[in-house]
Formats: sequence, structure tokens, C-alpha cells
Amino acid sequence: MLTEAFMIRAFLVALFLCPLCALLGVFVTSRRMSFFGETIAHGAIGGVALGVALGFANPTPVVIVFSFAVAASLLWLKKNTELATDTVMALLLSGSISLGTILLSRLKGDFRGDIHRILFGDILAVGELDVAIAGGLFLLVSIFVFTRLSSLTLLSAQEDMAHVCGVNVSRLNLLFVLALTLTVAVSVRLVGILLVTPMLVIPAASARNVCRNLRQQIVLSLVIAAVSGIAGVAGSYHLVSPCGPAIVMTCVGMFLVTLACRPFLRRSIRS
Amino acid sequence: MKACCDHQEDLPSVAETVGLNLAFGGQPVLRDVSMKLPAEKVVALIGPNGSGKTTLLRCLLGLQEPDSGEVRLFGGVPLKKALHRIGYVPQKLELDRDFILSVREFLALRLKATRHWFWMGRRALDDRLMASMAEFGCEALMDRPIARLSGGQLQRVLIAFSLLKEPELLLLDEPTAGVDTPGEQSFYELIREVHDRHKMSVVLVSHDLSMVYKHAHHVYALNGSICCHGTPEEVMNAESLKEAYGIGVSPYHHHHHAH
Repeated sequence: MLTEAFMIRAFLVALFLCPLCALLGVFVTSRRMSFFGETIAHGAIGGVALGVALGFANPTPVVIVFSFAVAASLLWLKKNTELATDTVMALLLSGSISLGTILLSRLKGDFRGDIHRILFGDILAVGELDVAIAGGLFLLVSIFVFTRLSSLTLLSAQEDMAHVCGVNVSRLNLLFVLALTLTVAVSVRLVGILLVTPMLVIPAASARNVCRNLRQQIVLSLVIAAVSGIAGVAGSYHLVSPCGPAIVMTCVGMFLVTLACRPFLRRSIRS
Repeated sequence: MKACCDHQEDLPSVAETVGLNLAFGGQPVLRDVSMKLPAEKVVALIGPNGSGKTTLLRCLLGLQEPDSGEVRLFGGVPLKKALHRIGYVPQKLELDRDFILSVREFLALRLKATRHWFWMGRRALDDRLMASMAEFGCEALMDRPIARLSGGQLQRVLIAFSLLKEPELLLLDEPTAGVDTPGEQSFYELIREVHDRHKMSVVLVSHDLSMVYKHAHHVYALNGSICCHGTPEEVMNAESLKEAYGIGVSPYHHHHHAH
């Protein structure tokens, strides 16, 4: 399995992106931003279709640009209309999916049949460019999160309090949205459009079952996501199945294990 | 604005507002609000719901830009620098129950020395934070998730947090919302003790007239504009309160107030 170049690429991308999703996921869940991740991920179908229509062999750069456009539209509509955030997200989500589906249906050649791979991820689709982008993103976003961990945590606790503690709230919010958009857009290639949000949510939720503080939650989320990424890619290879479901099923398995451990841990804490 | 008394006008002030006006969607919320917060005093900001108390507090903190008027902190220090000298206790945190931030981690967010708490050992954190928690008798809470504290425990932790940098001005926005009545009583006593020990200025936003009467040195009654201000005895006459609350109110009379 490790002698094949595409598998090494897939393992590397999984090792970069799954922990990254989990790291951001800790804050996404605490700030109730899961639907935001979902909107960006589903919006990526428009980016994939546009990339292919424009003749890109690897549509990831177009997906990134398209996802930024969706995120910017979301922020603009939130600021300049009276619409509820959920409404704006539903509008952009359905609009992007519809645009992507129409574009894909107009495409000639084999790509039209690849909708399954777009939705659920494909290890064969991971190219060298994807490894480079995922590696760079891993470095960039990890540095961003760990150097601003206190500010991000304060922001999750109470925005006004964060402001009084000297945090530039609007700038940090924008940077967090940028980091999340980039991570989701790049992760779509590996786990598929439908399964990016679980990668944000499940590792953090699994860790939440057994951890007693934020540091433990962050560390355990990273471990769960890395193990799920590796096991999922390997499982996908052996079962000849799409990559996203294999990764997410491993994550769900870990969630169930942590859920089962929960009563024992509680008992030991009490005693 | 009616000044029931003018003796506080001569005291040095830590913050003042001059002619603040603010409207939301054409609806005026603050009208020509001018007030001075005297140094080292407990000032209560009272008024009915929707009277602009929290909005005024947000203007003081730079969280809300007034349409016109001016906020002066510490004699004109720029906001960013002034915020280092201010402690703020919000009504509540927006913490999701999923967020298992422990009290120790939460307190560590406030200090520069513990900013990198993620990489620091428990003992190193406690060395810097425990004294503050001990002051409020909350040492046992250090490992508890902050989202699971009771209303009273959370308020104590929030006060410990806001005092870590020894502020000169402490702002409390409806601090006893979500706290039961006995808890409320002991909370105000705690604020009074904290004030006596640290000698900072305190602003209490409250609608609880009896507590204000007992614990504040100076009261501003707000209902869009400042209706009146003065010592609790001066403000707590039926006429002034009627103006502030828009109804007839019988003021509470406690025998052991601050003055």
C-alpha cells in the first residue's frame, strides 16, 4: 500500500487536513458555527464545477477562490441585510449546489459521472499540488491558532469581554473565518463535500466525552482526527470505497468508544 | 439632568461622558447623557428595562460608538490603553456547554504571563492565579468547567478574572442576573469588600434598588437621559424614581447603608 505514490499522497493529506479540521472544530462547535462550515463545503461543488469548466486539471485553486466568494457573500449579506444568519446560509448553500449541478450537467466527457467522487472524496484525486497546499495550510493555520489561542478562546467565551481584554474582535473573527474557509475548501478533495462538516464536529465531540478541560480536548481531538485520517485512507484502499465515508466512520467509531468510556471516567473523577 | 447634589462634581473622575446621544433605527436610546464617575467610589447606574443602562456601559467600553458626544477615560487616555486599566463583568458568558474551558484556563486568558497556558504546567499557572481565586474562596473551582458553574460561582470567577490585572475601574453589568436572592445579597457584600480592599472605582448597572441603596456611594438614574443623580438617599425619593421608572415607586429603606 505504501509503495504506491497516490497512497503516500493521500496519507500525507489526511495527516495534514484531518487534525486541522479537528483543531478548528473545537472552536467551530463552541461558537455554533457548524452550519457555516457546511455552507462553505457545499458551496465547493460550484467551485469544482467552475474549475473543471475552465479547464483546470486540479480544480482545488478554483474551489478556494469560489469558497472565499461564498464566505465573503455570507459576511456581506449578514452585515447589510436584516436576514437571519441561517437564512443567508441556506440561500448561499442551495444557490452554490444548484449552480455547481447545472454546470456539471453541461460538461462533456467523463467528469459528469464523477459527482460521486466530489461528494464523498477520492484518494486517487489527491495530486502533488493538493499535498503542497495541505502542508502549507497545516503550517499556516496551526501557527495562527496556537499563537492566538488565548484570544480565540476569549472570543468563544464572550466577545465583549474579549474586546475589553484588548482583542481586536472583528479582525480575529475575520481571520478565523478565512482559516476555516481555506481548510474546508482544501479538505473537500479528500473527504468530499458531504463529509467535511463531520470532520469539524466529530473529533471535538468525541474528545468532549472524556476530557475535563480545553487543553485535553484540543490534544485528544488532534489525535482522534489523525488516527481517523490514517485508518480511513487505509480502509478506503482495502475496501475500494470512497475516502470520506471511511474516515468519518472511523471517527464515528471513536466517538462511540469515548461515549462508552464516559461513565467510567465520571465515576473515577467522583471518587 | 437634575443633580440632587453637586458634591461629587469636585471629585477627580476616572471616566466621564459628555452629551452622549445614540439612536437605534431612529429610536433614541441615549439622550444627552453626561455623567462623571468619581475615583474610588461605587457608582450605581439604575433604570428600568430598556432605559439604556447597558448601552451606556457599552459606550464607556468602546463597544458602541455614540452618534454624538464624547467618552473620556482616565482624563483622555486612548481607548486601547484605557482598556488595560478597566475590568468588566458581563451579565453572562456565551459559552456553549460543549466548550469545556476550565476555570484555571479561563483565568489564564487574562494575564500576559499566562497567555501561553496551553504549553504551561498546572503548577506554573496556579502560582500566578491562585492568589486571586483564594481571595474569593474559589480555589476548589479551578478544575471545574466554567460552563457548569452555578450563577453565584460564575460571578465570583468573573470578578476574580476582571481583577487579575488590578484595574482602576470595574464595570459590572447587571451582575446578579441569574443569581438567587441570598446569593445576590452576598454578591453585593463581596463587591463592597473588593472595593474596600482594592480601592478602585466600581460601576454597578442594576435595577435592584434595595441593594443600590445599601452599597453604592453615588447613584445615576437613567431613562434614556439622566433623570437625576446623587447619593442613594437623595435619589431614592419617590419623585426621582418616578421620573426614572415612569411609575410611582416606594423606595426601600435599609438601616445599615454605606453613608
